[in-house]
Amino acid sequence: MLADYFDGSMDPRLREELDSHIALCEPCMRFAKTYRTTCDKTRELRMDIEYQIPQDVRSRLENFVRSAALKYPEMVKEYRDQAEREQREKVEGLILAAIAGKLSSITALLVETHCAICPVCKVYFDGLPRAGSPAPGAPPTVIHSHVTRLMESLPPGEEFFLA
Amino acid sequence: MSAERWKEDEVLLERLRKGAPEAVTELLRLFQGKIFNLAMSILKNESDAEEATQDVFMTVIRKADTFKGNSALYSWMYRICVNTCLMRLRGKRRNDTVSIEEFMPVFTEEGMHASPMDDWSKEVERKALNEELGQMIRKFTDQLSEKYKVVFVLSDVEGLSNEETAQILGLTVPAVKSRLHRARLYLREQLSRYLLEGKAG
Repeated sequence: MLADYFDGSMDPRLREELDSHIALCEPCMRFAKTYRTTCDKTRELRMDIEYQIPQDVRSRLENFVRSAALKYPEMVKEYRDQAEREQREKVEGLILAAIAGKLSSITALLVETHCAICPVCKVYFDGLPRAGSPAPGAPPTVIHSHVTRLMESLPPGEEFFLA
Repeated sequence: MSAERWKEDEVLLERLRKGAPEAVTELLRLFQGKIFNLAMSILKNESDAEEATQDVFMTVIRKADTFKGNSALYSWMYRICVNTCLMRLRGKRRNDTVSIEEFMPVFTEEGMHASPMDDWSKEVERKALNEELGQMIRKFTDQLSEKYKVVFVLSDVEGLSNEETAQILGLTVPAVKSRLHRARLYLREQLSRYLLEGKAG
Protein backbone atom coordinates (compact mmCIF):
# COMPACT_ATOMS: atom_id res chain seq x y z
CA MET A 1 0.00 0.00 0.00
CA LEU A 2 2.86 2.33 0.74
CA ALA A 3 4.01 1.52 -2.77
CA ASP A 4 0.79 3.14 -4.00
CA TYR A 5 1.53 6.29 -2.04
CA PHE A 6 4.86 6.73 -3.77
CA ASP A 7 3.64 6.02 -7.26
CA GLY A 8 0.63 8.26 -6.91
CA SER A 9 -2.03 5.58 -7.13
CA MET A 10 -3.18 5.71 -3.53
CA ASP A 11 -6.80 6.52 -2.74
CA PRO A 12 -6.91 10.35 -2.40
CA ARG A 13 -8.43 10.42 1.08
CA LEU A 14 -5.90 7.96 2.41
CA ARG A 15 -3.14 9.93 0.77
CA GLU A 16 -4.30 13.12 2.41
CA GLU A 17 -4.22 11.42 5.79
CA LEU A 18 -0.74 10.12 5.16
CA ASP A 19 0.42 13.53 3.93
CA SER A 20 -0.84 15.13 7.14
CA HIS A 21 0.94 12.57 9.26
CA ILE A 22 4.20 12.96 7.37
CA ALA A 23 4.06 16.75 7.72
CA LEU A 24 4.12 16.34 11.49
CA CYS A 25 6.36 13.33 11.88
CA GLU A 26 10.07 13.88 11.40
CA PRO A 27 11.20 10.26 10.95
CA CYS A 28 8.44 9.58 8.44
CA MET A 29 9.25 12.76 6.55
CA ARG A 30 12.88 11.70 6.29
CA PHE A 31 11.88 8.23 5.22
CA ALA A 32 9.64 9.60 2.49
CA LYS A 33 12.32 11.97 1.26
CA THR A 34 15.04 9.37 1.15
CA TYR A 35 12.70 6.87 -0.53
CA ARG A 36 11.91 9.36 -3.26
CA THR A 37 15.53 10.33 -3.65
CA THR A 38 16.47 6.66 -4.02
CA CYS A 39 14.05 6.33 -6.92
CA ASP A 40 14.93 9.65 -8.55
CA LYS A 41 18.64 9.03 -8.37
CA THR A 42 18.31 5.54 -9.77
CA ARG A 43 16.51 6.85 -12.81
CA GLU A 44 18.88 9.77 -13.22
CA LEU A 45 21.98 7.62 -12.92
CA ARG A 46 20.89 4.77 -15.14
CA MET A 47 23.90 5.19 -17.43
CA ASP A 48 26.19 4.59 -14.45
CA ILE A 49 24.09 1.72 -13.13
CA GLU A 50 23.65 -0.15 -16.39
CA TYR A 51 26.37 -2.56 -17.37
CA GLN A 52 27.91 -1.16 -20.52
CA ILE A 53 28.52 -3.72 -23.20
CA PRO A 54 32.30 -4.05 -23.70
CA GLN A 55 33.72 -3.38 -27.14
CA ASP A 56 34.92 -6.94 -27.76
CA VAL A 57 31.54 -8.37 -26.81
CA ARG A 58 29.95 -5.85 -29.11
CA SER A 59 32.16 -6.86 -32.05
CA ARG A 60 31.58 -10.57 -31.56
CA LEU A 61 27.88 -9.97 -31.23
CA GLU A 62 27.77 -7.97 -34.41
CA ASN A 63 29.61 -10.63 -36.42
CA PHE A 64 27.43 -13.34 -35.01
CA VAL A 65 24.15 -11.55 -35.62
CA ARG A 66 25.08 -10.33 -39.07
CA SER A 67 25.99 -13.77 -40.34
CA ALA A 68 22.79 -15.19 -38.88
CA ALA A 69 20.72 -12.42 -40.42
CA LEU A 70 22.36 -12.65 -43.82
CA LYS A 71 21.47 -16.30 -43.96
CA TYR A 72 17.93 -15.56 -42.90
CA PRO A 73 16.23 -15.50 -46.31
CA GLU A 74 17.70 -18.92 -47.21
CA MET A 75 17.04 -20.25 -43.77
CA VAL A 76 13.49 -18.96 -43.51
CA LYS A 77 11.85 -22.20 -44.47
CA GLU A 78 14.13 -24.13 -42.15
CA TYR A 79 13.50 -21.69 -39.27
CA ARG A 80 9.78 -21.93 -39.83
CA ASP A 81 9.82 -25.71 -39.95
CA GLN A 82 11.99 -25.80 -36.87
CA ALA A 83 9.70 -23.42 -35.03
CA GLU A 84 6.68 -25.52 -35.95
CA ARG A 85 8.42 -28.70 -34.89
CA GLU A 86 9.42 -27.18 -31.57
CA GLN A 87 5.93 -25.95 -30.95
CA ARG A 88 4.41 -29.34 -31.80
CA GLU A 89 6.83 -31.02 -29.42
CA LYS A 90 5.96 -28.61 -26.65
CA VAL A 91 2.24 -29.12 -27.08
CA GLU A 92 2.60 -32.89 -27.21
CA GLY A 93 4.84 -32.70 -24.18
CA LEU A 94 2.18 -30.86 -22.26
CA ILE A 95 -0.46 -33.41 -23.22
CA LEU A 96 1.76 -36.29 -22.17
CA ALA A 97 2.44 -34.54 -18.87
CA ALA A 98 -1.32 -34.13 -18.42
CA ILE A 99 -1.83 -37.86 -19.00
CA ALA A 100 0.91 -38.72 -16.51
CA GLY A 101 -0.54 -36.32 -13.96
CA LYS A 102 2.68 -34.34 -13.99
CA LEU A 103 1.52 -30.88 -14.94
CA SER A 104 2.82 -28.07 -12.75
CA SER A 105 0.10 -26.63 -10.57
CA ILE A 106 -0.05 -23.39 -12.52
CA THR A 107 -0.39 -25.25 -15.80
CA ALA A 108 -3.00 -27.62 -14.40
CA LEU A 109 -4.99 -24.63 -13.23
CA LEU A 110 -4.70 -22.93 -16.61
CA VAL A 111 -5.85 -26.08 -18.38
CA GLU A 112 -8.75 -26.55 -16.00
CA THR A 113 -9.85 -22.95 -16.35
CA HIS A 114 -9.61 -23.11 -20.11
CA CYS A 115 -11.55 -26.38 -20.35
CA ALA A 116 -14.27 -24.88 -18.20
CA ILE A 117 -15.01 -22.40 -20.96
CA CYS A 118 -13.92 -24.37 -24.03
CA PRO A 119 -16.05 -27.43 -24.79
CA VAL A 120 -13.75 -28.69 -27.54
CA CYS A 121 -10.72 -28.80 -25.25
CA LYS A 122 -12.78 -30.19 -22.41
CA VAL A 123 -13.84 -33.15 -24.54
CA TYR A 124 -10.27 -33.67 -25.67
CA PHE A 125 -8.66 -33.52 -22.25
CA ASP A 126 -11.38 -35.58 -20.59
CA GLY A 127 -10.99 -38.19 -23.30
CA LEU A 128 -7.23 -38.60 -22.94
CA PRO A 129 -6.09 -42.19 -22.37
CA ARG A 130 -4.79 -43.27 -18.98
CA ALA A 131 -1.05 -43.34 -18.24
CA GLY A 132 0.49 -46.51 -19.60
CA SER A 133 -1.80 -46.74 -22.65
CA PRO A 134 -0.28 -45.93 -26.02
CA ALA A 135 0.34 -42.20 -26.35
CA PRO A 136 -2.22 -40.29 -28.42
CA GLY A 137 -1.10 -38.98 -31.81
CA ALA A 138 -0.72 -35.34 -32.69
CA PRO A 139 -3.67 -33.35 -31.36
CA PRO A 140 -6.16 -31.67 -33.69
CA THR A 141 -5.24 -28.20 -34.93
CA VAL A 142 -7.72 -26.42 -32.70
CA ILE A 143 -6.40 -28.12 -29.57
CA HIS A 144 -2.86 -27.36 -30.69
CA SER A 145 -3.60 -23.68 -31.06
CA HIS A 146 -5.47 -23.40 -27.75
CA VAL A 147 -2.71 -25.17 -25.86
CA THR A 148 -0.13 -22.96 -27.56
CA ARG A 149 -1.89 -19.84 -26.38
CA LEU A 150 -2.26 -21.30 -22.92
CA MET A 151 1.48 -21.98 -22.73
CA GLU A 152 2.20 -18.42 -23.80
CA SER A 153 0.54 -17.16 -20.65
CA LEU A 154 2.88 -19.10 -18.38
CA PRO A 155 5.32 -16.77 -16.63
CA PRO A 156 8.83 -16.67 -18.14
CA GLY A 157 11.04 -19.52 -16.95
CA GLU A 158 8.04 -21.51 -15.76
CA GLU A 159 7.96 -25.13 -16.91
CA PHE A 160 4.65 -26.81 -17.57
CA PHE A 161 5.69 -30.09 -15.98
CA LEU A 162 6.64 -30.97 -12.45
CA ALA A 163 10.38 -31.54 -12.33
CA MET B 1 2.25 2.18 -27.49
CA SER B 2 2.05 4.88 -30.13
CA ALA B 3 1.02 4.14 -33.69
CA GLU B 4 4.33 5.48 -35.02
CA ARG B 5 6.26 3.20 -32.71
CA TRP B 6 4.31 0.21 -33.96
CA LYS B 7 4.94 1.24 -37.54
CA GLU B 8 8.68 1.65 -36.94
CA ASP B 9 8.82 -1.78 -35.33
CA GLU B 10 6.97 -3.31 -38.27
CA VAL B 11 9.29 -1.70 -40.80
CA LEU B 12 12.37 -2.86 -38.95
CA LEU B 13 11.06 -6.41 -38.65
CA GLU B 14 10.16 -6.49 -42.32
CA ARG B 15 13.65 -5.41 -43.30
CA LEU B 16 15.10 -7.99 -40.93
CA ARG B 17 13.07 -10.75 -42.52
CA LYS B 18 14.59 -9.80 -45.83
CA GLY B 19 18.08 -10.01 -44.31
CA ALA B 20 18.83 -6.31 -44.89
CA PRO B 21 22.22 -5.51 -43.30
CA GLU B 22 21.18 -2.01 -42.19
CA ALA B 23 18.24 -3.53 -40.34
CA VAL B 24 20.67 -5.68 -38.37
CA THR B 25 22.79 -2.67 -37.53
CA GLU B 26 19.66 -0.86 -36.41
CA LEU B 27 18.47 -3.79 -34.31
CA LEU B 28 21.83 -4.03 -32.61
CA ARG B 29 22.09 -0.30 -32.08
CA LEU B 30 18.67 -0.19 -30.48
CA PHE B 31 18.92 -3.23 -28.28
CA GLN B 32 22.36 -4.68 -27.70
CA GLY B 33 23.09 -2.48 -24.70
CA LYS B 34 19.74 -3.04 -23.04
CA ILE B 35 19.74 -6.79 -23.63
CA PHE B 36 23.30 -7.18 -22.40
CA ASN B 37 22.50 -5.15 -19.30
CA LEU B 38 19.41 -7.17 -18.54
CA ALA B 39 21.33 -10.42 -19.07
CA MET B 40 24.10 -9.19 -16.77
CA SER B 41 21.64 -8.34 -14.05
CA ILE B 42 20.24 -11.86 -14.09
CA LEU B 43 23.36 -13.89 -14.86
CA LYS B 44 25.90 -11.67 -13.17
CA ASN B 45 28.91 -12.55 -15.28
CA GLU B 46 30.03 -11.29 -18.65
CA SER B 47 30.65 -14.58 -20.33
CA ASP B 48 27.16 -15.96 -19.63
CA ALA B 49 25.63 -12.61 -20.44
CA GLU B 50 27.42 -12.53 -23.79
CA GLU B 51 26.17 -16.00 -24.72
CA ALA B 52 22.68 -15.19 -23.57
CA THR B 53 22.71 -11.97 -25.61
CA GLN B 54 23.72 -13.91 -28.71
CA ASP B 55 20.93 -16.41 -28.02
CA VAL B 56 18.44 -13.59 -27.70
CA PHE B 57 19.34 -12.02 -31.03
CA MET B 58 19.39 -15.45 -32.65
CA THR B 59 15.89 -16.12 -31.33
CA VAL B 60 14.69 -12.74 -32.52
CA ILE B 61 15.95 -13.39 -36.02
CA ARG B 62 14.50 -16.89 -36.11
CA LYS B 63 11.16 -15.72 -34.83
CA ALA B 64 11.00 -12.42 -36.70
CA ASP B 65 8.43 -14.13 -38.86
CA THR B 66 6.13 -15.22 -36.08
CA PHE B 67 6.17 -12.08 -33.95
CA LYS B 68 2.60 -10.86 -34.05
CA GLY B 69 3.15 -7.26 -33.00
CA ASN B 70 0.76 -7.54 -30.06
CA SER B 71 3.39 -5.89 -27.91
CA ALA B 72 6.21 -3.46 -28.61
CA LEU B 73 9.36 -4.91 -30.14
CA TYR B 74 11.42 -3.95 -27.09
CA SER B 75 8.88 -5.63 -24.79
CA TRP B 76 9.11 -8.82 -26.80
CA MET B 77 12.89 -8.74 -26.81
CA TYR B 78 13.05 -8.15 -23.06
CA ARG B 79 10.73 -11.08 -22.55
CA ILE B 80 12.90 -13.33 -24.71
CA CYS B 81 15.91 -12.14 -22.76
CA VAL B 82 14.34 -12.87 -19.37
CA ASN B 83 13.23 -16.32 -20.57
CA THR B 84 16.64 -17.15 -22.02
CA CYS B 85 18.45 -16.05 -18.88
CA LEU B 86 16.14 -17.79 -16.43
CA MET B 87 16.51 -21.02 -18.40
CA ARG B 88 20.26 -20.71 -18.12
CA LEU B 89 20.01 -20.04 -14.44
CA ARG B 90 18.00 -23.16 -13.76
CA GLY B 91 20.01 -25.61 -11.74
CA LYS B 92 22.62 -22.98 -11.15
CA ARG B 93 21.06 -21.33 -8.13
CA ARG B 94 23.62 -19.18 -6.42
CA ASN B 95 23.53 -18.52 -2.74
CA ASP B 96 25.40 -15.27 -2.62
CA THR B 97 22.31 -13.11 -2.77
CA VAL B 98 21.26 -11.11 0.27
CA SER B 99 18.25 -11.77 2.36
CA ILE B 100 16.11 -8.77 1.66
CA GLU B 101 14.35 -9.07 5.00
CA GLU B 102 17.36 -7.72 6.85
CA PHE B 103 16.95 -4.39 5.12
CA MET B 104 13.25 -3.80 5.54
CA PRO B 105 12.21 -0.92 7.84
CA VAL B 106 11.60 -1.89 11.43
CA PHE B 107 8.83 -0.43 13.51
CA THR B 108 8.12 -0.22 17.23
CA GLU B 109 4.95 -1.55 18.77
CA GLU B 110 3.40 1.88 18.41
CA GLY B 111 4.15 1.83 14.70
CA MET B 112 7.01 4.35 14.81
CA HIS B 113 10.27 3.88 12.94
CA ALA B 114 12.53 1.92 15.23
CA SER B 115 15.89 2.76 13.68
CA PRO B 116 17.16 6.32 13.52
CA MET B 117 16.02 8.06 10.37
CA ASP B 118 18.43 10.41 8.69
CA ASP B 119 17.61 12.61 5.77
CA TRP B 120 20.45 12.36 3.28
CA SER B 121 18.36 13.42 0.32
CA LYS B 122 20.03 16.82 0.00
CA GLU B 123 23.54 15.44 0.21
CA VAL B 124 23.20 13.20 -2.81
CA GLU B 125 22.15 16.14 -4.91
CA ARG B 126 25.80 17.01 -5.38
CA LYS B 127 26.68 16.04 -8.95
CA ALA B 128 30.21 15.14 -7.90
CA LEU B 129 28.80 12.09 -6.16
CA ASN B 130 26.96 10.78 -9.18
CA GLU B 131 29.35 8.26 -10.58
CA GLU B 132 30.14 6.78 -7.20
CA LEU B 133 26.49 6.72 -6.28
CA GLY B 134 25.60 4.97 -9.52
CA GLN B 135 28.17 2.30 -8.87
CA MET B 136 27.01 1.83 -5.30
CA ILE B 137 23.43 1.41 -6.47
CA ARG B 138 24.58 -1.20 -8.93
CA LYS B 139 26.69 -2.99 -6.33
CA PHE B 140 23.86 -3.13 -3.82
CA THR B 141 21.20 -4.22 -6.26
CA ASP B 142 23.53 -6.86 -7.72
CA GLN B 143 23.18 -8.66 -4.43
CA LEU B 144 19.46 -9.07 -4.83
CA SER B 145 17.96 -12.29 -6.13
CA GLU B 146 16.62 -12.13 -9.70
CA LYS B 147 13.09 -11.96 -8.47
CA TYR B 148 13.67 -8.42 -7.22
CA LYS B 149 16.56 -7.40 -9.40
CA VAL B 150 14.79 -7.87 -12.72
CA VAL B 151 11.76 -5.86 -11.64
CA PHE B 152 14.06 -3.15 -10.34
CA VAL B 153 16.07 -3.00 -13.57
CA LEU B 154 13.05 -2.91 -15.85
CA SER B 155 11.07 -0.41 -13.76
CA ASP B 156 13.44 1.91 -11.97
CA VAL B 157 16.49 1.74 -14.21
CA GLU B 158 14.92 1.30 -17.64
CA GLY B 159 11.81 3.28 -16.75
CA LEU B 160 9.16 0.83 -17.93
CA SER B 161 5.67 1.15 -16.50
CA ASN B 162 4.32 -1.37 -14.00
CA GLU B 163 2.04 -2.72 -16.71
CA GLU B 164 4.85 -3.22 -19.21
CA THR B 165 7.05 -4.84 -16.61
CA ALA B 166 4.20 -7.12 -15.58
CA GLN B 167 3.60 -8.13 -19.17
CA ILE B 168 7.26 -8.88 -19.82
CA LEU B 169 7.62 -10.96 -16.69
CA GLY B 170 4.24 -12.63 -16.72
CA LEU B 171 3.39 -11.18 -13.30
CA THR B 172 0.38 -9.27 -12.07
CA VAL B 173 0.75 -5.53 -11.59
CA PRO B 174 0.36 -5.83 -7.79
CA ALA B 175 3.14 -8.44 -7.78
CA VAL B 176 5.39 -6.07 -9.72
CA LYS B 177 4.59 -3.18 -7.37
CA SER B 178 5.24 -5.29 -4.31
CA ARG B 179 8.61 -6.58 -5.52
CA LEU B 180 9.63 -3.16 -6.74
CA HIS B 181 8.74 -1.56 -3.46
CA ARG B 182 10.77 -4.09 -1.51
CA ALA B 183 13.73 -3.62 -3.83
CA ARG B 184 13.51 0.14 -3.26
CA LEU B 185 13.22 -0.26 0.51
CA TYR B 186 16.29 -2.46 0.43
CA LEU B 187 18.23 0.01 -1.69
CA ARG B 188 17.15 2.99 0.41
CA GLU B 189 18.41 1.21 3.51
CA GLN B 190 21.72 0.18 1.92
CA LEU B 191 22.34 3.71 0.66
CA SER B 192 21.45 5.07 4.06
CA ARG B 193 23.99 2.86 5.79
CA TYR B 194 26.62 3.56 3.19
CA LEU B 195 26.22 7.33 3.30
CA LEU B 196 26.07 7.50 7.06
CA GLU B 197 29.07 5.22 7.49
CA GLY B 198 31.02 7.58 5.29
CA LYS B 199 30.23 10.40 7.66
CA ALA B 200 31.00 8.39 10.79
CA GLY B 201 34.21 6.85 9.39
